[in-house]
Amino acid sequence: MKIDNTLPLEYSTEQNRMNVLGFWIFLGAEVMLFATLFATYFTLAHRTGNGPSGAEIFEIAPVLIETFLLLTSSFTIGLGVHAMRLGRKNAMIAFFAVTLLLGLAFLGVEIYEFTHYVHIGAGLQTSAFTAILLTTLGTHGAHVTLGLFWGLFIILQVKKRGLTPETANKSFIFSLYWHFLDVVWIFIFSFVYLKGMM
Amino acid sequence: MSELFPRKQVMGFVFSLVLTAAALTVYFMDLSFAVGMTVLLVTAFVQAAVQLVVFMHAGETDDKVAIYMNIYYGVAIALVTIFGTLLILVWDM
Amino acid sequence: MDYFDRFAIPHPSPAIYASMVAIGLTVVAIIFGLTYFKKWGYLWREWLTTVDHKRIGIMYLISALIMLFRGGVDAIMMRAQTAVPDNKLLDAQHYNEVFTTHGVVMIIFMAMPFIYALMNVVVPLQIGARDVAFPRLNALSFWLFFMGAMLFNISFVIGGSPDAGWTSYFPLAGNDFSQSVGTNYYMLSIQIAGIGTLISGINFTTTIFKMRAPGMTLMKMPMFTWTALITNAIVLFAFPVLTIALLLGTMDRLFGTNFFTMTNGGMDMLWANLFWVWGHPEVYILILPAFGIYSEVISTFSRRNLYGYKSMVGSIVIISFFSFLVWTHHFFTMGQGPLTNSIFSITTMAIAIPTGIKIFNWLLTMRKGSIKFTVPMLYSVGFIPIFTIGGVTGVMLGMASADYQYHNTMFLVAHFHYTIIPGVVFAMIAGLTYWWPKMFGFMLNERIGKWAFWFIAIGFNVTFFPMFFTGLDGQARRMYTYSEATGFGPLNMLSFAGAIVLMIGFALIVYNVYYSTRYASRNISADPWNARTLEWATHSPVPSYNFAITPQVNSIEALWDHKKKGQPLFSGPIEKIHMPNNSGVPFIMSCIFFVWGFSFVFSMWIPAIITTIGIFVCMAHRSFEKDDGYYISVKEIEDTEKECEVQSR
Repeated sequence: MKIDNTLPLEYSTEQNRMNVLGFWIFLGAEVMLFATLFATYFTLAHRTGNGPSGAEIFEIAPVLIETFLLLTSSFTIGLGVHAMRLGRKNAMIAFFAVTLLLGLAFLGVEIYEFTHYVHIGAGLQTSAFTAILLTTLGTHGAHVTLGLFWGLFIILQVKKRGLTPETANKSFIFSLYWHFLDVVWIFIFSFVYLKGMM
Repeated sequence: MSELFPRKQVMGFVFSLVLTAAALTVYFMDLSFAVGMTVLLVTAFVQAAVQLVVFMHAGETDDKVAIYMNIYYGVAIALVTIFGTLLILVWDM
Repeated sequence: MDYFDRFAIPHPSPAIYASMVAIGLTVVAIIFGLTYFKKWGYLWREWLTTVDHKRIGIMYLISALIMLFRGGVDAIMMRAQTAVPDNKLLDAQHYNEVFTTHGVVMIIFMAMPFIYALMNVVVPLQIGARDVAFPRLNALSFWLFFMGAMLFNISFVIGGSPDAGWTSYFPLAGNDFSQSVGTNYYMLSIQIAGIGTLISGINFTTTIFKMRAPGMTLMKMPMFTWTALITNAIVLFAFPVLTIALLLGTMDRLFGTNFFTMTNGGMDMLWANLFWVWGHPEVYILILPAFGIYSEVISTFSRRNLYGYKSMVGSIVIISFFSFLVWTHHFFTMGQGPLTNSIFSITTMAIAIPTGIKIFNWLLTMRKGSIKFTVPMLYSVGFIPIFTIGGVTGVMLGMASADYQYHNTMFLVAHFHYTIIPGVVFAMIAGLTYWWPKMFGFMLNERIGKWAFWFIAIGFNVTFFPMFFTGLDGQARRMYTYSEATGFGPLNMLSFAGAIVLMIGFALIVYNVYYSTRYASRNISADPWNARTLEWATHSPVPSYNFAITPQVNSIEALWDHKKKGQPLFSGPIEKIHMPNNSGVPFIMSCIFFVWGFSFVFSMWIPAIITTIGIFVCMAHRSFEKDDGYYISVKEIEDTEKECEVQSR
């Protein structure tokens, strides 16, 4: 492997540059995945059957907490990548760890939200609206859950192997994934919750 | 310590919080549907752009063109799919 | 015993029992053969764990041919059943199963792997690359596709075949009207294969963006590579839609949600909408690589460069975007208003324009060329008029108001076979014959190939042209029989006769492979067709590292200009070459996916949970694994090169 030392570690080999571009292309596919969920959500948003509507079940407090947690985690992982580029391994691990903790807290609030919905009679089988609401949120939540494990693996690898072209590349790609989840959440926040409560 | 908190990213974070607060006006104020949706569309897309440029460093390599083309193309098709679906199944059904 | 009742066939027939016995015997024969000839190790080392794009391509090819056989048998059964009025060969249920599996198998499990077979073999060679960008993922793509195909194919002996049509429209596909597990098979097997395809899309897009030989700018890429790039870009944005549609459909069937039901706010039309948001781009995923193959073949055998390269590129780029703008034309009669139908009617006609441009480019490429009618060229020249009939009838169907007459009749069936068979099947056979020497180091027999072409071309027209008439006379598709009074009998009999001729044509291709494997000369040059692009600049069959020296590209037809104008192609010393390691993980992970899918089909939750964990364990293993690949030494390369040269002398 030829290592180009003029570039940041995560871009330093040809394979690394391909990995990053490949991941961006994957994110393009993810855009379409979530767009399909949104298309379905908007189509079914008012088809509530005998179940409740969005305005009846949405609450602003947990949503705001979730938004703040995820926005902050997106900021901290950005700092993590910055620290990685400075070669500050421990600072980077700390920022990544904070990110994952914020992600975990987000997931906790989301699980609370889900149980709350089911409790007040807005379960998966209640109506087309509740089904697509929970599926859209659930798909995002599943991405976050996967991200928690992935991020943990990366922290372990950086800790053990140090900042190498491989680990830096993986960390950077993970940061792309995490930022992307934040972007998706912003659209959920705006067009599922705020539009629903407007 | 301060070198760990680059100005650009801190400003990006503050800006994203401001955008979130701006979006919240649709909840706290009594806006019409059209105005509310405009606010949400603007804040959401600007917010996404901030993430893309400031945090994801989309434009920092030679693959910039490929990356942006990929995202624009994806977003364009996503919008076509969403609005096309709404046209077929809701607005014109 | 109740637990095992779920695996029983809800609607058995002697044919299915016979198939069970045949499948059982084949499996036993394969296991016995591998053990007897001590080939297990060979199979594992050389094929199951390979990450070499050429070998993966060959595996795609074999799978596609097997699936072509399966889909072909379904087709013959349908034609036989409808050959005479009030036929009792198949009953209604069995006929439903047969047309459903025919559609799914041919589109998802035959055409798609055939395309990826040729892309795998050809694209890295055409751009002068060592392999694809992510060889390991490439293996995963193949094995996911393969396991999806296997899962789909066991449905008719375990639990029952899908029977709601290849489009699987709800509410018919919902639990109320499709009570067997057949539609579960449909949802899960296509999901698994679709994930594989999506991974391929990412892989090839990255490969073509990043791994082109020095000097090969985007506008100097061979046309097949261009179409491969655009096809994979469409895959990238279309397949996630299918992923979600199948996910929602699976949830409706297994978890009692109300996405596509008729109660609690569900909307059955949403399925049709999502299905075709994927389905129409899928049509272009199939046809664009075919256009690429025709461009290569026509230019090679006309001895002329491709006419209108830039307009070709422009038209495929436009097609790629437009392919996402026309999906409503598959359901003009669903009930949306005239505004929507008008919009999509116009976009549908607009997309015919770039396709028309391409037809004229091919014709002008042949103009004044010295045309050699080899087998690939015959298919390409045959394609143009036949495909044009398909295109013109497509414009007829695209007129929303007229479509109310044609919708769901045999006219439609004739139309799409007139586009898909000359468009995809002809192209795949042409590409197969054209690149066969590159893959296997010998050529297919031209004489048998030409016989096969005439059988296929004539058989095809005899089969499908009558359907235009019966369709306009009102014969609906997917009806298992009709009364004598309708008068459809004679033309349907003609279709059946054509299908037999078509079948003989395919049998001749199989015979050709056998005959050429036995008798064809192995003494062929690296460039037996006197072709124009880079894949012909290396040996046949291609050594594992593809090119000993990375080629330097200065023009669109790098090899042709090298041969005619003496432009240097390979310069510099041989250096050691970095290669990826083989891995068993993609195969193992895909096997777990198979069991995962099977567990979901039958709602067996404990194995479903275990296999889900298994899939994530494979991913975690990949995350922690250190895999730096290996190097082929200069000496080894030089030896291989010498050996290849001796062989081809």
